[in-house]
Amino acid sequence: MGGPCEVLAEIAEESVARKVVEAVAACAWRIEDKFSRYLPNNIVARINASAGMPVEVDNETANLLDFAALMHRLSDGLFDITSGVLRRAWIFDGGHRVPAREEIDALLPLVGWSKLSWKRPVITLLPGMQIDFGGIGKEYAVDQAIQLVAQLSGAAVLVNFGGDLAVTRAREGDRPWRVGIEGIDPATGAEPNAARLIDLAAGALATSGDTYRFVESQGVRLPHILDPRDGHPIRDAPRSVTVAAPTCTNAGMLTTLAMLRGRGAEEFLAREGIRHWVQRQ
Amino acid sequence: MTRKIFLLAVASLALQGCASMGVQPWEREVLARDDMQLDANALDTAFDDHIYFSKEGTSGGRGFGGGGCGCN
Amino acid sequence: MAVAASAAVAAGVTEVAEKDLRIGAALAAATCSLLGTAAPGVSIAADAEAKWDIDSAFLYYGESDGRVKDLSLSAHATRDFGDERKLGLDLSIDSLTGASPSGAIATGGAQTFTSPSGRDTYTTPAGEIPLDTSFLDTRFALNGSWSQPFARLYTMNAGLGFSSEYDYQHIGADFGVTRDFNLRNTTLSAALAYAQDTIKPVGGLPLPLAQMTDAVGEDQGPGNRGSGDDSKNVLDVLLGISQVLGRNTVMRVNLSYSDSSGYLTDPYKFLSVVDPVTGDLIGRTPAPGASGPTGVYRFESRPDSRRKEALYAELRHDFSGKVLQLGYRYSTDDWEVDSHTLESRLRLPFGSSSYLEPHVRYYQQTAASFYRYSLADGTLPEFASADARLSDMSAFTVGLKYGHETAGGNEWNARLEFYRQTAEAPNEVLIGNQIGNTQMPDFDAVILQFGYHFKL
Repeated sequence: MGGPCEVLAEIAEESVARKVVEAVAACAWRIEDKFSRYLPNNIVARINASAGMPVEVDNETANLLDFAALMHRLSDGLFDITSGVLRRAWIFDGGHRVPAREEIDALLPLVGWSKLSWKRPVITLLPGMQIDFGGIGKEYAVDQAIQLVAQLSGAAVLVNFGGDLAVTRAREGDRPWRVGIEGIDPATGAEPNAARLIDLAAGALATSGDTYRFVESQGVRLPHILDPRDGHPIRDAPRSVTVAAPTCTNAGMLTTLAMLRGRGAEEFLAREGIRHWVQRQ
Repeated sequence: MTRKIFLLAVASLALQGCASMGVQPWEREVLARDDMQLDANALDTAFDDHIYFSKEGTSGGRGFGGGGCGCN
Repeated sequence: MAVAASAAVAAGVTEVAEKDLRIGAALAAATCSLLGTAAPGVSIAADAEAKWDIDSAFLYYGESDGRVKDLSLSAHATRDFGDERKLGLDLSIDSLTGASPSGAIATGGAQTFTSPSGRDTYTTPAGEIPLDTSFLDTRFALNGSWSQPFARLYTMNAGLGFSSEYDYQHIGADFGVTRDFNLRNTTLSAALAYAQDTIKPVGGLPLPLAQMTDAVGEDQGPGNRGSGDDSKNVLDVLLGISQVLGRNTVMRVNLSYSDSSGYLTDPYKFLSVVDPVTGDLIGRTPAPGASGPTGVYRFESRPDSRRKEALYAELRHDFSGKVLQLGYRYSTDDWEVDSHTLESRLRLPFGSSSYLEPHVRYYQQTAASFYRYSLADGTLPEFASADARLSDMSAFTVGLKYGHETAGGNEWNARLEFYRQTAEAPNEVLIGNQIGNTQMPDFDAVILQFGYHFKL
């Protein structure tokens, strides 16, 4: 997940609370083990090592690939799970290393969802292409965890995986959960404080931003979201976007799509008619 | 002499503080609780401070706030 | 399902471009099929509403033996305006009645004194510590404060205060700055406060160490009154550091300095003048046809400046939901009143929404350099006071608070405390027969408080 995960549960009996937390942790580990691009033996590793050969995938993976395909279409190609190879050129660790044009150009032929073949249940990549579910996996995990919790207990529970979170319902006495969005510090982004407080009574919140993963070039902070069409970070992207939606996957996708719009993020979110908070500078 | 002890106590505490003691932002769930705030019980301590100010020879030290009165 | 999802997403949207509506609806539908849910679910999220947070309480304070009683009503309100800007307002009303020790010592016979106004007299029975006449006074106080960030990691705060009672008025201002370090684990603060108080006692201000005179039947105090009013200024400086020590522990240390100057004497208090060998009260007869003091009494006089330094340290530690609070204060000043205060509270939650909080406090001080049990007849010192609040003294408080949180997140609470103060006159200030024979105005007091903490 790449960040701290927590479960807040309004449950009086310790045994039930324990069951809920263990179920959420098990769910998070299961999805991490299955879809993380860093692990050597899972379905994602098999696909990425396929060297042009077709790979048959299970139902859950197929669902995620269908979802990725739809998102690619709805975003006019901005959202693309094959853009991960560009990481060989870009390292978003807060440093100043900006890759040369040639490095990026060498990788672009390997980027593009339309270049691979996806006919459920078989996926065939071009040799050298890579897919990763980094843009969907965490939010998907939150939603899966919340579904599990709702089956185990009728209590009010909040599941938070590194800032992407969802709740089963409002707290006792119909009170909302109070969530703080980290403020952006203009100079370093490293001294956090809750700049906004949000009352969440139902649904999910997801946040995209450059607080932790970025590269600084000529005094400008470049976010870690890359435009797959030219291999560069999105220009004029907001510093942080938070969206409220019924599910975390939904919210997460909207934040990603908004970030990908750069300057047009606010307009996009306003037209979608969902609750959103954008921070720039 | 006691003055020097004060300054030493505060300086050493300050030095300790500027070291890496503390918690990460996501480890603040206990510290964020109302009953863990340094100014929790504010009304109680305001009442008490006022009573002790008027019945004893020393006052203050915790902070400012509250007015004077003719009771000391 | 696509139709139901689009209806849910379209609610609340006024102008939507055809193309973008499809993204929202299509996305919702896609999520449903990814997660295998039938209905799209609901999202309810809004900016947390800034509300007034109000802590209010009613307090009763009552001392033993018919001494001081106080009824007080207080409210402390705060409001968050977002971006860490906060407003605080405090309002309190006190109603004080009763009598307190005047500073004269108990003697074998009844004693008569002239009242502060100079209009009549009052008598204390034999063997009892003289208390000044009963009084009734109402005090009103108002405080306002504002805090906001003004640069990265810096916050400023400013406050104004005002209080008023029959013979006393106070106006003060304070200003401070705090700076965070170390991911907000360390906070340094510096603050300054300045206050100007005016005292206008009944019957005017007695001249220092003036002898109490007969009652004259009109508003003319019995102490060869000087002016009708005077003032005092107080300058306070505070330096503080608060530090997070761990996930469950936070502490703070404050260093403070206070400089008071002006009229610091209590205009209503006096001392008994005694024979320098036996220590017995020197008797006096009022003028023929007049009523007045039956002994020689002199009004007290304190220096016109007082400088104090204090060190205060506090720790809060949580262990499985219980919170221990420990505080210590050491104070020293140029009147030689040095004190130690040790205080602790332990919050014990029980049930799902209640708590009990026992509280103990121990206080101990040394006498002021000019504290006297009584004045020896003859050469007068420059300063003298027999106010027990400036003697060697210790005090102990023990109390219990109960609180209950309602379903709506508000809290009712009640607090009961017992206070016992024991004073001692240091042997050096005792004269003749007084040694081993002192009567100090020790007392017990009860504190009862009911409070309601709510959001508006």
